[in-house]
Amino acid sequence: MNDSLDLNEFHWLLAIVQNIDVGVVVLDRDYCVQVWNTFMENRSGLQPKDAQNQNFLSLFPEIDPQWFSRKVESVATLGTPAFTIWEQRPYLVRFKNYQPITGQEEFMYQNTTLLPLRSTDGKIKHICLVIYDVTDVATNRHQLQAANAQLQQLSRTDRLTGLYNRGHWEESLKGAYARHQRHGNATSLVMLDIDNFKRINDTYGHQAGDKVIEEIARLIHEHVRETDMAGRYGGEEFGVVLSDTDKTNGWVFAERLRKAVEGLEVLHNGQSIRVTISLGVADLSQPSINYADLIAWADHALFASKKAGRNRVSVYE
Amino acid sequence: MSANLLSVIPLLVCDDSIMARKQVLRALPADWPVSVTEAGNGREAMDAIRRGLGQVVLLDLTMPEMDGYQVLSALRAEGLKAQVIVISGDIQEEAVRRVLELGALAFLNKPFDESELRQTLSQLGLLTELGHALPGNRRAANTVISFHDVFRETINVAIGRAAALIAKVLGVFVLLPVPNVNILEVGELHMALTDASSCKELTAVCQGFIGSGIAGEALLMFHDSEITDIAQLMQRQSSDYSDMEMLLDLSSVLIGACLSSIADQIDVVFSQGHPQILGQHASIDQLIQVNRKRWKKTLAVEISYSLEGHDIRFDLLLLFTEDSIERLTHKLAYLTN
Repeated sequence: MNDSLDLNEFHWLLAIVQNIDVGVVVLDRDYCVQVWNTFMENRSGLQPKDAQNQNFLSLFPEIDPQWFSRKVESVATLGTPAFTIWEQRPYLVRFKNYQPITGQEEFMYQNTTLLPLRSTDGKIKHICLVIYDVTDVATNRHQLQAANAQLQQLSRTDRLTGLYNRGHWEESLKGAYARHQRHGNATSLVMLDIDNFKRINDTYGHQAGDKVIEEIARLIHEHVRETDMAGRYGGEEFGVVLSDTDKTNGWVFAERLRKAVEGLEVLHNGQSIRVTISLGVADLSQPSINYADLIAWADHALFASKKAGRNRVSVYE
Repeated sequence: MSANLLSVIPLLVCDDSIMARKQVLRALPADWPVSVTEAGNGREAMDAIRRGLGQVVLLDLTMPEMDGYQVLSALRAEGLKAQVIVISGDIQEEAVRRVLELGALAFLNKPFDESELRQTLSQLGLLTELGHALPGNRRAANTVISFHDVFRETINVAIGRAAALIAKVLGVFVLLPVPNVNILEVGELHMALTDASSCKELTAVCQGFIGSGIAGEALLMFHDSEITDIAQLMQRQSSDYSDMEMLLDLSSVLIGACLSSIADQIDVVFSQGHPQILGQHASIDQLIQVNRKRWKKTLAVEISYSLEGHDIRFDLLLLFTEDSIERLTHKLAYLTN
């Protein structure tokens, strides 16, 4: 063995530990800093001479001392490594984001490893703390989650009205039906249709028609409760599932909505358009085979309203 | 010479692992005059002792059929005089205390070496009549030992080491199972994982490991109903310390201890990745789909730890890649020679 070569290797190793782009800290059993590499120096702004022999917890008051000592003691007494991951604990030491343009998070997300370091006598007298910067991973994951949430939202809503689209609305109705079967809570359905909608389109144009649909959707949205589910069923037809509501109270809701639409004035290109709606109400107080029965019953009542002269509410008995 | 022959000691070696028995036989002092009988479980051991073949017994603890504790109890109940030295991978302090209380004379931790055994035997005064061993009475020496047997014994020692740490962390006694070692076709593994994923009350922590061409993943599964009990045992004080982090810590200890013991025994060093909660980012179904084409077979070790006096069980699954099997076989071959 050549001693000078060994010394060379030692210098290389030291240079690598110093310059590697992960944080390396070695603590003694009193949590005093023994090794402080360049990553730590640059991110914390603390020179090695200022960190050396300082208590790690006093350098970083954001660390819960009880939690940290428990973690370190387990590593030291059990001799097995311990980890923290950013999903559970976003960071161990708070390093502010230093990239004003590309940095999208407030602070550096970190994964950390705590390793037991055995001395030549086999005893664990030091703990090595390795800090990985996983901010990019966290950013990507956050963006992905946001995009997925947005996609899910988009796939559920009707573009024009912002109400649920038919597919998602029917799924919600199925869910409400299943809850009724299990728990027996009252559930009613209101189906409604804009009266003489074709005439509006023919007289004022399709843009005016769209405007009418939008305005009525806005009124529906204003009238429903948080637990109700309103959807655009077809072109000018809407459905509202009312939870914990029987057909009598369903009628109250429908009548209130009918009056609101009656009082609505839609302005389009300086013209005032008045519309009315017809509504049908049904509930699950009578035996049904599946959720489609409820739609059929409410539709039946809606047809009765149309037949009786429109702008009214009928209840399926 | 004839005097020595008359004072030959009937020695019984009882362990469910052929390799472990072979290791014991190899470690016996060459000048100790014994006639050896082997037993593969507690029941066989009791039969042999009743027939006078076990004046001295070297006894394993974790065995199928009848375990070491039961043998010690049975000896006491039947008033049989046997001098028992327990040799076990279950190195919990409580295990040592219990077997000594049940009448064992000494406890040797697996893996042990010749000098430890010799020292223990001589301290107990069992080596006073040294002579020449009878040739041919150590018959296991030429038995072919299967990969399964060697590997299972290695795992046995590893899970004992991990259990001792868990016992220390939680302040409990861990009941050690006989580990299940299987080579699983990927389909079977998928079934096991799908079962795990379909059970919503299950949280699985996964940690990858790699070293010397041997790689795989360790999977630790907890039943969610047990998490509050575990939290109580861990005496969690800080509200800043979440359930998930507690499970991750517990997993790191258990998986870390298991892997480092396996690594020690086969003389490799494993690097461990950061743990992750399985199914949190990609559903298990998706993971299975992705890996379907990559692996055909996997070496699986299933270990089910339970805690005495608590309704808590953890299932540990060690999965080795197909490529690792050959390396492992090679490394394990050193243990049997």
